[in-house]
Amino acid sequence: MTYYLTDGTSDGFYSAVFDAYADKEAFVTAKSRIQLSFGDRLVSVETIEEKAERVRKKLTLCDVHALDDLSILLRSSEDGTEQAAFLYIRELVHRGRPVKGRLAEPAVFDALDRIARVKEEAHRFTGFLRFTENSDGVLYAPFSPDHDILSLLVPHFLKRLPGIPFLIHDKKRHKIAVCDGKTYTFAVACDSATFVPSPEQEEWENLWKKYYRHVNVALRPHEKQMRGSMPVRYWKYLPEKNQRNSVPKIFK
Amino acid sequence: MKVCRSGGERMIDEFRLRILTESAKYDVSCSSSGSARSNTKNGLGNASFHGICHSFTPDGRCVSLLKILLTNDCVYHCRYCPNRAGEDVSRAIATPDEICELTVAFYKRNYIEGLFLSSAVYLTPDTTMDLLLLTVKKLRTEYAFNGYIHLKGIPHADPALVREAAKYADRMSYNVELPSEASLKLLAPQKTKESLLLPMRTLREETKANREDRSRRKARILPAGQTTQMIVGASPETDGQIMRLSEALYRKMGLKRVYYSAYLPVVRDSLLPDRGAGLLREHRLYQADWLLRFYGFTAEEIAPLDENLPEEYDPKCAWALRNPDFFPVEINRADLEALLRVPGIGNKGAYRILRARKYGNLSFEDLKKMRVVLKRAKHFITCCGKFYGAKDENQIKTLLALQDSGTEQLTFFGDAESGMSVLTGQL
Repeated sequence: MTYYLTDGTSDGFYSAVFDAYADKEAFVTAKSRIQLSFGDRLVSVETIEEKAERVRKKLTLCDVHALDDLSILLRSSEDGTEQAAFLYIRELVHRGRPVKGRLAEPAVFDALDRIARVKEEAHRFTGFLRFTENSDGVLYAPFSPDHDILSLLVPHFLKRLPGIPFLIHDKKRHKIAVCDGKTYTFAVACDSATFVPSPEQEEWENLWKKYYRHVNVALRPHEKQMRGSMPVRYWKYLPEKNQRNSVPKIFK
Repeated sequence: MKVCRSGGERMIDEFRLRILTESAKYDVSCSSSGSARSNTKNGLGNASFHGICHSFTPDGRCVSLLKILLTNDCVYHCRYCPNRAGEDVSRAIATPDEICELTVAFYKRNYIEGLFLSSAVYLTPDTTMDLLLLTVKKLRTEYAFNGYIHLKGIPHADPALVREAAKYADRMSYNVELPSEASLKLLAPQKTKESLLLPMRTLREETKANREDRSRRKARILPAGQTTQMIVGASPETDGQIMRLSEALYRKMGLKRVYYSAYLPVVRDSLLPDRGAGLLREHRLYQADWLLRFYGFTAEEIAPLDENLPEEYDPKCAWALRNPDFFPVEINRADLEALLRVPGIGNKGAYRILRARKYGNLSFEDLKKMRVVLKRAKHFITCCGKFYGAKDENQIKTLLALQDSGTEQLTFFGDAESGMSVLTGQL
């Protein structure tokens, strides 16, 4: 197996596709996710924009939606993401036309399956994200999603909360979306910044916890269902699932 | 026992929130789907067509809407209801502003998708409906809230009030409460069949006219339609009867959903059974309900009039076992309707098959690769003429039967995908 190591960016990935396409033994992966075994060869891929652009152009010729689909797929943090995308691209270029319907092809099914998981998580967080408010009316929501979905979420909240400045903070990737109520940008989260909730925030949060407790029908317990729909790894930032006061005093 | 609190004047106190929540929680409906209301300029919120779940409680249900009563102070005496008149429970009432403030504050923090406002019949039906109308109107206009609103209709209220309220809500519901007129008379004497079905019909006609009127850019009335709910197991109706009622409600009233709630003995009453109805029965009813709405089945096919749905098989499986002539279905040639009638193949599976077979014949292995669920389906399909199931009909029956309905009953909701959508009401 020859490992093509990318820098983790999408340009890096498409450059690797360019280099690895003819190699039947190729395995494309980000540097950060590599798992080697005996006898493997390593190729460090140089990110070259022109190469990436050529690959992109070719893919668009095969399927106008290909780049959108792949951009969702490349947000996945699961093992083998780049390789799955690579195999999907091979299938796509081999056929020369859209392959999305070829569900019996393992490469296609696997790629679509991964895309579905990223989209599902993004959908889940439109519900599971929790904002806290400070005295200036700014909203702040920390979360740590499995996949890199921050930029998928922001437009949703911008539509809902026009005119309200908000911050959404991906704790895992140290990325933060800053929205002033009209436009948004992404920044690297700053270690020293603090977010102090307003006194009212705690009261509303308290009411929410009470509401959550009392709306449960205790005569019909079904915890398994709850955990299935709302996995425990997401509970950290849900005030209703946290006994201690979850209002973050300082964020990192 | 009243708790005084600091904080905003319009912030509801914990004590009343508890009473009004506990009284509202038995309403099953929770879905926030069906409406794509967009935000207004400088308004707050919008509705997501597919609905969004914001949390899940330990009973496995989702929290999508802030489900709350305006008041639980009731003049009606419905025997199954914990808030019936004369019952010794704490009563509370919230002001429209308190409800609005709470909704907006929760919505802004992304705790909820919108409001599900219901109420006990306070003083008179008209007073109550008036208060409900005032609240939703205020929420939409003064508070510029464009999130989802599900509003409960009050029986016997002035139709003019109901029509007015419909302009502000995304969805309205009148609960038929029980599956027959006789049971309704017995257990909810102040509610009559007409008081529930007439407003349903009024709203149906109103929305129909509204949809047809495309000439001007009019605001849509009840974009998410109407739903209803009934208690199962508190009265003697069979599943066959219930399915026929649901079918009629879907066809004649154009309802989006009928919710079933297994009877829970929350209050004691001489006319009510001491034991609750099983969750498995409720689950089977929901499965049958799905067959009505998405799989092209009729109530007639699902269950004979005087029979309950079988416990050991799901309703589609039971139908398949009764109709062996229909099978096997050839995966590569059958149309969508036939595919949907195969036990174990749902909308997702059928859709995958339809998409993939455009490119070539599908083998049994291909179906496996596409993760079409074959545990049940393999006994009812052929792939390129080949059959992979058990040969003997009795063997199939044993293989498909629910292993042990006694223990399964508790965990049954957990594994099935359909179980989740049943509880969350999302689709």
